[in-house]
Amino acid sequence: MIPSTDYIRLLPELILIVFGLLVMLIEPLLGEHNNRKGLGAIALMGAVLSILASFYQTGYEGAAFFDMIHVDTFSIFFHVLIGLIAAVVILASFEYLNLQQIRYGEYYGLILLSSVGMMLMSSAVELVLIFIALEISSIGTYILAGFRRNAPISIESSMKYFLLGSFATAFFLYGVALMFGATGSTSVYTIATTLAQGATPLAYVGIALMFVGLGFKVASAPFHIWTPDVYEGAPAPVVAFMSTGPKAAAFAVLLRVLFATEAPGWFWLIWASAVLSMTLGNIGALVQNNVKRLLAYSSIAQAGYILVAFAAAKDIGISAVIFYAAAYAAMNVGAFAVASHLANVGEKYVTLDDYAGLGRRAPGLAAVLTIFMLSLIGIPVTGGFLAKFYVFQAAMQSHLTGLVIIGVINSAVAAYYYLRVIVYMYMREPQRDVPVLKMPFALGVSLAACLAATIYLGVLPGRILDYAMASARVLVR
Amino acid sequence: MFFLNHIWVIPLMPIASAAVMFFFGRRLSKQAVNAFCVGTIVLAFAWSCLAVYQYSSYAAAHDNAPFEKVLFTWAGSDGVMLPTHSGHPAPFKAEAGFLLDPLSAIWLLFVTGVGMLIHIYSTGYMAHEGGYYRFFGYLNLFMFSMLTLILGNNYAMLFVGWEGVGLCSYLLIGFYFQRHSASTAANKAFIVNRIGDASFLMGMFTIFWYFGTYRFTDITSVARSGQIAIGDPWMIAITLLLFGGACGKSAQLPLYVWLPDAMEGPTPVSALIHAATMVTAGVYMVARSNALFVLAPPSMKVVAIVGALTAIFAASIGLVQNDIKRVLAYSTVSQLGYMFLALGVGAFAAGVFHVFTHAFFKALLFLGAGSVIHAMGGEQDMRNMGALAKKIPTTFKTMFIATLAIAGIPGLAGFFSKDEILWQTWSRNDGAFRALWVIGFITAVMTSFYMFRLIYLTFFSQSRMSHEAEHHVHESPKSMTVPLMVLAFCSVFAGYLGLPPSLGGTNRFEKFLHPVFAAEAHQSAEAVPAKEEEHAPPIEYGLMLLSIGAGFGGWWLASRAYGKAGKGYVEPIDAAAQAVYTTLLNKYYVGEGYDYLFTGRKKLGPIRLGAIGLGEASWKFDANVIDGTVNGAGWITRLSAAFSNWWDKWVIDGVLVNGPAILAKMVSYPVRLFEWGLVQWYALVMVVGLVGFVWYAIR
Amino acid sequence: MLHLALFLIFGVIAVVGAINLIAQTHPINSALSLVVVMGSLAAEYLLLGAEFLGAIQVIVYAGAIMVLFVFTIMLLNAGAEEQTRGSKVAIIIGIPGMVIGSVAVAWALIRAHTGAEVPVGSLYGSAQGIGHLLFRDFLLPFEITSVLILIAIMGAVVLARRES
Repeated sequence: MIPSTDYIRLLPELILIVFGLLVMLIEPLLGEHNNRKGLGAIALMGAVLSILASFYQTGYEGAAFFDMIHVDTFSIFFHVLIGLIAAVVILASFEYLNLQQIRYGEYYGLILLSSVGMMLMSSAVELVLIFIALEISSIGTYILAGFRRNAPISIESSMKYFLLGSFATAFFLYGVALMFGATGSTSVYTIATTLAQGATPLAYVGIALMFVGLGFKVASAPFHIWTPDVYEGAPAPVVAFMSTGPKAAAFAVLLRVLFATEAPGWFWLIWASAVLSMTLGNIGALVQNNVKRLLAYSSIAQAGYILVAFAAAKDIGISAVIFYAAAYAAMNVGAFAVASHLANVGEKYVTLDDYAGLGRRAPGLAAVLTIFMLSLIGIPVTGGFLAKFYVFQAAMQSHLTGLVIIGVINSAVAAYYYLRVIVYMYMREPQRDVPVLKMPFALGVSLAACLAATIYLGVLPGRILDYAMASARVLVR
Repeated sequence: MFFLNHIWVIPLMPIASAAVMFFFGRRLSKQAVNAFCVGTIVLAFAWSCLAVYQYSSYAAAHDNAPFEKVLFTWAGSDGVMLPTHSGHPAPFKAEAGFLLDPLSAIWLLFVTGVGMLIHIYSTGYMAHEGGYYRFFGYLNLFMFSMLTLILGNNYAMLFVGWEGVGLCSYLLIGFYFQRHSASTAANKAFIVNRIGDASFLMGMFTIFWYFGTYRFTDITSVARSGQIAIGDPWMIAITLLLFGGACGKSAQLPLYVWLPDAMEGPTPVSALIHAATMVTAGVYMVARSNALFVLAPPSMKVVAIVGALTAIFAASIGLVQNDIKRVLAYSTVSQLGYMFLALGVGAFAAGVFHVFTHAFFKALLFLGAGSVIHAMGGEQDMRNMGALAKKIPTTFKTMFIATLAIAGIPGLAGFFSKDEILWQTWSRNDGAFRALWVIGFITAVMTSFYMFRLIYLTFFSQSRMSHEAEHHVHESPKSMTVPLMVLAFCSVFAGYLGLPPSLGGTNRFEKFLHPVFAAEAHQSAEAVPAKEEEHAPPIEYGLMLLSIGAGFGGWWLASRAYGKAGKGYVEPIDAAAQAVYTTLLNKYYVGEGYDYLFTGRKKLGPIRLGAIGLGEASWKFDANVIDGTVNGAGWITRLSAAFSNWWDKWVIDGVLVNGPAILAKMVSYPVRLFEWGLVQWYALVMVVGLVGFVWYAIR
Repeated sequence: MLHLALFLIFGVIAVVGAINLIAQTHPINSALSLVVVMGSLAAEYLLLGAEFLGAIQVIVYAGAIMVLFVFTIMLLNAGAEEQTRGSKVAIIIGIPGMVIGSVAVAWALIRAHTGAEVPVGSLYGSAQGIGHLLFRDFLLPFEITSVLILIAIMGAVVLARRES
C-alpha cells in the first residue's frame, strides 16, 4: 500500500533508528570488562550511512507517507548537515566518555535517536509530525545534558533545560492548535492555501506562539536565558551537539513555517528578536570567564545574525540562513570540541585562566581554536566571515539598513570577547598548572573536519551557496 | 608578460613562507628562518619590479588600462542573484582577482621594497629575542595580507587584506606578551580597528546595493559615466562610510587612539606596519575610491577637515612626549592627516606622493629609533639620552637626514610632497580650504619643532645617561645600518620623482598616476579651477618660501630650547603654560574619556558605563549565585529566600522609603533580575516575551 | 443551551483543578487534582462529539496513568514538599503576565469566531474516523511516536540508574 520510494524518502531516519537500537542492544552483551570503544564506531557508521542515504535521496525527491514529509534539496541539505554534526560529535566523544566515565550505550543511542528527530524536523511538512520530531530531538538533548551524573551542575543543567523546554514546547503546541483553528489544517501547504485567502488574528497568534517555541530551541532573545546555565553544566561534546543540531533543525522548521506557509505578521517579531539576540548575547559574553558560558552567549548572538537573514527578502534570506547554519555548525562544533578536550576529567578546566599559555603548551590545539574564534568574529577566508557577509548583504539588499547597522556594530563589539580567548592563550602566563592530555586520534579527525569545513566555506563557498539558493527556491516556489 | 600574468605569486610567496614558519619554524635554525622569510620578500620585491616593468609596456599597448587577472570566484556565486538599486539583479560574487594599475604599482613597490629592508633590519634587531621564527612568520603573514590588500581587484579582496593586516598588527603588537601593556595595546588596536571595519563593511554593502558589484574597475566606470549626479546622497553615504573605515585603519580622529599604543610592539613592526605600510591602507582605499569621492563633495570636505584636524592635533601632542617612539607615532598620525587633507581637497596624486615619500623617511626614523633603543639597551625615554651623535654615527646621520626630510627642509623628499599638499590646499576649489592651509602650515612648524627636539634630546645636548648605560652604548650591526643607509638615500631622492613644474620638474609622479585619477578632473571641472598653468603663479613661490621658513623656524626653536639640555632640563611649553603642557602630555585626556564612556574600563563615580559596564550589569551574580547553586541541596530555597529578601528590602520598601538613594544601585544591577539561576525567573522572562509577542500579533 | 452550560461547567472545573494541582503541597493531593482535570477534560471531549477521545482519556489518563502516579507516590512515601517563601516578583509580574497572555489569546479566539455553528459529532471524533486518521494519514507520526517513547524511557533509565 505504501510505495517503496516512501521508505527511501525516510531512509536516513530509518538507518539512524536501527543503529541507535543496535548500539543499545550490543552494549549489555559486551559484559563488564570488555572494551566498549567499538560502540562509538558503530554509532559513527550509522551517522555516516545516514549521510550517504541522504545523498542517495537526491534521486527520490517528493512527498511521502501521505504528504507527511517532503524530500527536496532543502531537506537533503539539512539531513546532511545534521548527519555530519552527529558524526563529528560522536568522533569527538570517543575519549571524552572514557574520561568522564559516561555510559557509552545510551549516550550514542540518544545522539542517534535525537538526530532522527532533527532530521524529521527538516523534512516534515505537517505540524503534528513537526511537533513529535521536535519532542524527540528535545527530550534526547534534555537527557544528554545531564549525562555527567556525578556533577550536580550537569543535573541542574538538564533539569533547567527540561522544565523550560517543556514550557516552550507547550507554547509551540498551543500555536499549532490555534493555527489549526484558524485554517482547519495542520499541513503546511494547506495552511498556505488557506492563509492566502486572508489571515485571521488567530493565525497571527498561532505564528507568534510557534515562534516562541522555536525561538527557545534556537536560543534567540527573549527566550534565550536558559542557554548559559545549560551549556555550562552539560557535557562539552553534548553542547557541541545541542548548540548546532537542534538549532539547525529548528531554523529549518522556522523557515518552513514562516516561508512555505507564507504566514503573515512575523516580520517585526523576527526583527525584534534578532536585535535583542545580537545585543544581549554580545553584551552578556563580554564579562564571561567561563569558556562554555562565553560560547553560550556567543551562540545567542549568532542566532541573532541568522534571524537577520530571516528578515531579509525571501529567497536570498533563506539561502543566507542555510549557509549561515552550515558555517555556524562547523565553527561551533569545533570550538566546543576543543573545549571538551581541554576540560579534562570532571570538566575542571573551563575558565579563561585555564587557557592561559595554551599557545605554548599545546600550540596545535591553540591554533585550531584560534581559527574557530576568528571565524566566529568574522575574519575573511573563514566560513564565519562569508556567512555574516552574505547575511548582511542580503539584509542590505532588502532595505533593512537599520538591522544591518545594528548587526555590524554588534559584530564589531563581539570581537572583544572572542579575542580575549586568543589573548589568554597566547599572551598570558598560566596561573596554575593545567594538564593538557595527548590529543586522541578520533578527536583530531573531528577537529580536522570542522577546520576543513570552516576554511572551505570561507574560500570556496560557491557550490554550497548555489545549493542553498536552490533549496531556498524550493521553499518559496 | 610572465611576471605580470602571474602577479598572484607575489602575495603567495610570503604566505608560503609563513606557513613553513607555522609548521616547522620551531625546528629551523635562525639562518634557515632568514633564508625563508627574508628570501621570499626579496623575491617578491624582484617579482614586483618586473611585473611593474611589464605593466608599463602593457599600459602603453592598452591605452593605460589597468591590468586585471581573475583566478576564481571566491565569495558568492553566479547563481545567487540579489536585487540592486537599479532594479537589475546582480550576482553576489567577489573574485579572487588581482589588479595592477599605477596606484597599486606604487604601493606594491614601496611595500615590498621597504618591507624587504625592514626584514633585513629585523634579522639584526631581533637576533637576541625569543620567538624568532614566530616573529618572522607573523611578519610574512603581514606582507601577504598587505599585498592582497593592494593587489585585490575588488572591495571584498581588499577587505580580506584589510582584516588580515589588522590581525597581523594585533599579533605583532602583542609580540612581547609578557608585558601586560603589550597585550592591552594589541587588544585596543584590534577593537578600534573593528569599529572602523564596521563602517567600511557598511560602505561595502551599500556599494554593492548601488552598483551590484564589488569590482573597482566596474564601479569606477559607472561612477565616471556621468549617470550619477554630483552630490548624490547614496554617494555621500558610501564615501562617508568608507572614510569611517579609513579613519580606523589610518588612525584619524576620533579613532587614532590605537596607534600610539601600538608602539608596544617591536620597533621593526612599528616601522613596517605602523608607519610605512598598513596605516596608509586607509589612504589607499580612499584613493582607490576616488571616482566615488569626487561625486560627493560634502564627503571630500569631511575628509579634508578631519585630515587637517588630525594633523594639528597629533602634532601638538607630539610636541611634549618623552618616549622616542611615541613622538614618532604621533608624528605618523599627523602625517597621515596631511595625506587625507590632500585627498580631501581633491589632490589625490599629491596625497599618494606624500604616502610614498613618507614611507621612506618614517620607516627610517623608526628603524633609527630602534637602533638607538638597541644601543641604549632598551631605553626609550629621551630624558635619559643625549649626546649620542658621536657614539652611534651611522644611526645619527641617517636619522638626521630623515628629520630634515620630514621637517620640510628643501631638497629632500618630504619638502616636495608636503609643499605640494599645502600648495594644492591653498589653490584648489577656489581657495575654499585656505583655513585648512593655515592649519597645515602651523602643523608644519610643529613637525619641524618636535622632530628637531627629538634629534637634540637624543643626539646632541648633554648626556643624561646613567654610567652603566653609557658604557653599553654601541653602534648596531651591519644588517641594521645598511637598510638605514638605503632608506636615507631614498629619503633624499624619492622627492625628485615628483618635482613640480614650478621648480623646473615635470611632476612625473603625478603623470604616472594620471590614468587612475584622470576622469576626476573632467567630472569636477566646475569645482576645480583650471589645471596648473605652464608657468607657476608667484604666490606658489611665496608659499614655498613660507613653508621653508616653517621648517627652519621649527629647527631654530628646537635648537634654542634643547640644544644644551642637561639633566632636569625645562620644557619650554611647561615653563610658558603649565596647563597646556599637562593637557598635551596627557594627550588631551582622550584615552581616559574613552575609558569612561565607551569601554567602561574606568568607573564614573560608582557607575560603570560603556560596553563592560553593560556586560557586568547583565551578569554580575556569577560568583555569588551560580557557585551557590552548585554547592549542594536546598539551593532553590536559599536562593529564592535571599533574592526575595533582597527584592523586598530594596525594591518594595526601598522605592517607597528612599527611592533615589538606591537608584544608583539599580542602575548597576538591572539585568540581575533576569538571570540569577532560578528556573522560575527564566520562565517569567519567557512569559513577558510571550505576552509582548502575542500582544503584537493581535494588535 | 445545555451543551454550552455543561461545557462551561466542566471547563471551570478543569481550570480550578489545574490551579489546585499547583497550589497543593502534598503530592497525593496534587495527583488527585490531576484526576479531576483529566476527568473534566474527558467530559469536554464527549461534549464536543469526540467520543473515542473521551473514552481513551478516561481509560488511559484518568485511569491507568493516574493510578500509576498515585501508587508511585505512596510507595515512595513522599511527604509534603518544602514551601519556599515565594517571591513577590512572581506575583507582581508573573501572574499578571500569564493573565494578560491568556486574555490576549482568548480575545483573539473570540474575534476569530465567525458565528458558524459546528454540529455535534461532525468532527473526526468517532472511532472509525480516528482509526482512519491514525493508521493512514497520520501513520508516520503515529509510528514515530514510538521513537519518542523509546527516547523517554531511555531518559528515565539513564537518570534513575545509580552510578557505581
